[in-house]
Amino acid sequence: MKISLRHFILFSLFLLLIILFAFISLINSKVTNKLDGVLWTVPAKVYSRQMVIAEGIEINKGMMIKELSLHSYIKKSLPNNPGDYSFKNDSLSIFLRGHEDQEAGLFKVNFSKDKVVSIKRSDGIKLDLIQLEPLAIGGMFPSHMEDRLIVNWHQVPESLIEILLSVEDQTFFEHHGLSLKSILRAFYQNVLAMDIKQGGSTVTQQLAKNLFFSSQRSLSRKLQEAIAALLIEFHYSKEEILLAYINDVYLSQAGTRSINGFGLGAEHFFGATLKNLEIDQLSLLVGMLKGPSLYNPRRNPERALSRRNLILDILEQESIISSTQNVQMKERPLGVVSPKFRSETKYPAFHDLVRIELNENFKDSDLRTQGLRIFTNLDPIIQESLAKSFKKTKIELIKKYGKSLEDLEGAAIVVDSRNGEIRALLGSSSPNSFGFNRALNAVRPVGSLLKPFVYLTALKDYKRYSLSTLLDDTRLTLNLPEGGVWEPNNFDKKFHGIVPLHQALWDSYNIATVRLGLDIGYEDTIKVFNSLGIEKEIPNYPSLFIGSFEMTPIEMIQAYQTIASNGFFTPLRAVREIRGIGNDLAFSYPYKIEQRFRPEPIYLLKFALQQTFVRGTARGFSKKEIKRFQTWGKTGTSNDQRDSWFVGYAGDYLVLIWLGFDDNRESPLTGRSGSFQVWKDFIKSINPIEFKDNRRELARINNEWVDLKDGLLSGQDCKNSISVPFIKGSEPLVTPDARKKCRVKEKIPENSIMDKVRKILEDLTE
Amino acid sequence: MKKYLLLLSCILFFTSCTSVDNRLNIENVEEVSTFASNIENLLSELEFLKLEVLKLNSSKPPIQRILNEADAFWIRGNLDQTNLQLERALRISKNEGPIYLRLAHLRIEQGLNKEAKAFAAKGLLINNLSNWERLLLNVYFQHDNS
Repeated sequence: MKISLRHFILFSLFLLLIILFAFISLINSKVTNKLDGVLWTVPAKVYSRQMVIAEGIEINKGMMIKELSLHSYIKKSLPNNPGDYSFKNDSLSIFLRGHEDQEAGLFKVNFSKDKVVSIKRSDGIKLDLIQLEPLAIGGMFPSHMEDRLIVNWHQVPESLIEILLSVEDQTFFEHHGLSLKSILRAFYQNVLAMDIKQGGSTVTQQLAKNLFFSSQRSLSRKLQEAIAALLIEFHYSKEEILLAYINDVYLSQAGTRSINGFGLGAEHFFGATLKNLEIDQLSLLVGMLKGPSLYNPRRNPERALSRRNLILDILEQESIISSTQNVQMKERPLGVVSPKFRSETKYPAFHDLVRIELNENFKDSDLRTQGLRIFTNLDPIIQESLAKSFKKTKIELIKKYGKSLEDLEGAAIVVDSRNGEIRALLGSSSPNSFGFNRALNAVRPVGSLLKPFVYLTALKDYKRYSLSTLLDDTRLTLNLPEGGVWEPNNFDKKFHGIVPLHQALWDSYNIATVRLGLDIGYEDTIKVFNSLGIEKEIPNYPSLFIGSFEMTPIEMIQAYQTIASNGFFTPLRAVREIRGIGNDLAFSYPYKIEQRFRPEPIYLLKFALQQTFVRGTARGFSKKEIKRFQTWGKTGTSNDQRDSWFVGYAGDYLVLIWLGFDDNRESPLTGRSGSFQVWKDFIKSINPIEFKDNRRELARINNEWVDLKDGLLSGQDCKNSISVPFIKGSEPLVTPDARKKCRVKEKIPENSIMDKVRKILEDLTE
Repeated sequence: MKKYLLLLSCILFFTSCTSVDNRLNIENVEEVSTFASNIENLLSELEFLKLEVLKLNSSKPPIQRILNEADAFWIRGNLDQTNLQLERALRISKNEGPIYLRLAHLRIEQGLNKEAKAFAAKGLLINNLSNWERLLLNVYFQHDNS
């Protein structure tokens, strides 16, 4: 059979058509699959808690100013741009950048001492509260570390579209994916240069390139890109294409993380939401598209500035801004803020805890791809201050005790005792790197930190024990069931004879505590341990009572939280709520609470623990400071000083510090000389606002003057006496003859009728 | 004759049995209905309590603003959002009876009676409660004992 040339050509054309059709179908399916489905994997973002400024509340102004600077707010004499503030004569003027729950704009906050007296908008309207934007502190990234914040059409400022199209694609709304004019211009330029120097790509082509192809410049890739662009235009509206482009573009690299999309670009470079950016800021971001690295405003500020100004000139040519506006905007600095975090997170130890909490309810893959927003309880200023105090104290300790402390490790946790929210967490002495998280995972002997739990068990049984009950701190020899004897010793290697219970606690006597524990018994003590929130198995050997038992710092502070919150057990929480891309509530971690103890024995225990500050192992605060913050706490030192612990409470903050070596070697530090020093520096640095005790006086508590040594009744005018709280019915009854003279009963004024009525009412409602 | 007597005694026996049964049943019904009416009363009391709790305002404007937001979510039946708002209010001020009362009632609606009781107990430790707030908190404190 003879095949004519005509047939051959026809057949070849037919074959070519089939190949072309298959080729286009392939690209078509790529386009629709990508753009119809989930466009991008969007990592979860982790945020700090939001600072709220509300009328009538007290705020530590120093901390507030520190927080503003952490949010990259800049002090100006006249704040007139988003991110500016001034603070003069107890009056804060702040130009908020705004976010979903807070409009942007200028606000004036007046203080009287630490109290917020009034909040006004710039138009004079009075407001109840304003909120600072939450601080992005980290994310959960997929392996390619591509990060973005998806914006929807309503979150895109109109001016961004105008700038973008003026610079990148002026005929966007006229073409169908390709612009012949642009291609011819680029072709002409490339022929002149004898190389491929210039692209004539439309926004649609750029989107096609970013989504489906490598950055390699070749004719075949250009062809594929052009076909994909035509198909995108065929399937999608102009708005959908623009929005995809805005969310997709690559803008910068931050450590291992790549910054994509204008939404994240706004947050990364200006600390603001896209909607709140000014024209000059948007111009900078659009200008960066030509060369994200070359025009990076942090690395190459001069180039970035001239590129921004060039864009502003284009905007003037296109009559988007006036020449006066152009001049004004060119005078503005770039206004770029320092990056909030570079790689996965700014606070790795806290991030570990967030991950643990989230893993109970979310799949790891969802966290890395679904664009969830995780709002945590972290207070960035508390976290920064904690890290600073830790570093500072470690340097001082090395100076004092020598270089052997250079590899001293540590952990620290700060809890808001009002609701169990974790405000800060350190897992190592290098707070900015991931690694072994000692706050969560270091299982260490807890030493005397456990003693208050033994004393709480005793004080619960108020018919047998009060704070002035005498304990025996003389030599104790115990025969152990497995043979051998055990003789507990005190830290000072001395015996202290007969001592009142509260002194045995504030001076942390081991022998008296072991005797007390044995007297109460293991069963009741272990029950109290469990009620405090210690869930692990607890052994029943006598050294348990003085802390030869191992716990992690987070387990320990959980138990102390039950004491701090007056007997209410609340599981500690790092995460508050999780929201989806559309700001819908995906999950929340509510405040859980259970009353495990009556408030009275806790009240007595706190009194004794406050004495550790007045006369015990935590001396070093003035009486005024102790009263101001209502401090109480406990030092702990394990055998051979391998662990130095301190847990303390000040003005609603419960703070635990642990210091020790990873190889468990001995250290020169006790609880007092090590961890307590970190604690002290931290509390003084954050200077909590004055603790206002607004608790009702407990009706079942009576205060009595007792003698510091024999625990019997005494008087305010007697020597060595102390006023101690007792649960009614547990007060000592005897006043030794020698003190009868100096014990003068306080005169109780006769009750008025109203007092009696109040008493009856109170008894009824008790 | 004996046969008839036997039959009659049997009938009487069974009748008495059934009558005893009936009597017992009537008593049960009474118990159940009393119980039901008690529950009904209890439920109506809770509704009454809720109305009373929602009437309680804070003297602090920012707290009141957040309470209004919480109440709006509550009316729409969105308990999770209500809780988030109440916790937000609690962060601003820890000494507000109206917040603890709302939290206590909300926990009952969420089926968490033990937590309701604990919130009431915690609220009762506040010093500046009105007598009415204190009384209501006591009702919630004793709720799961009743």
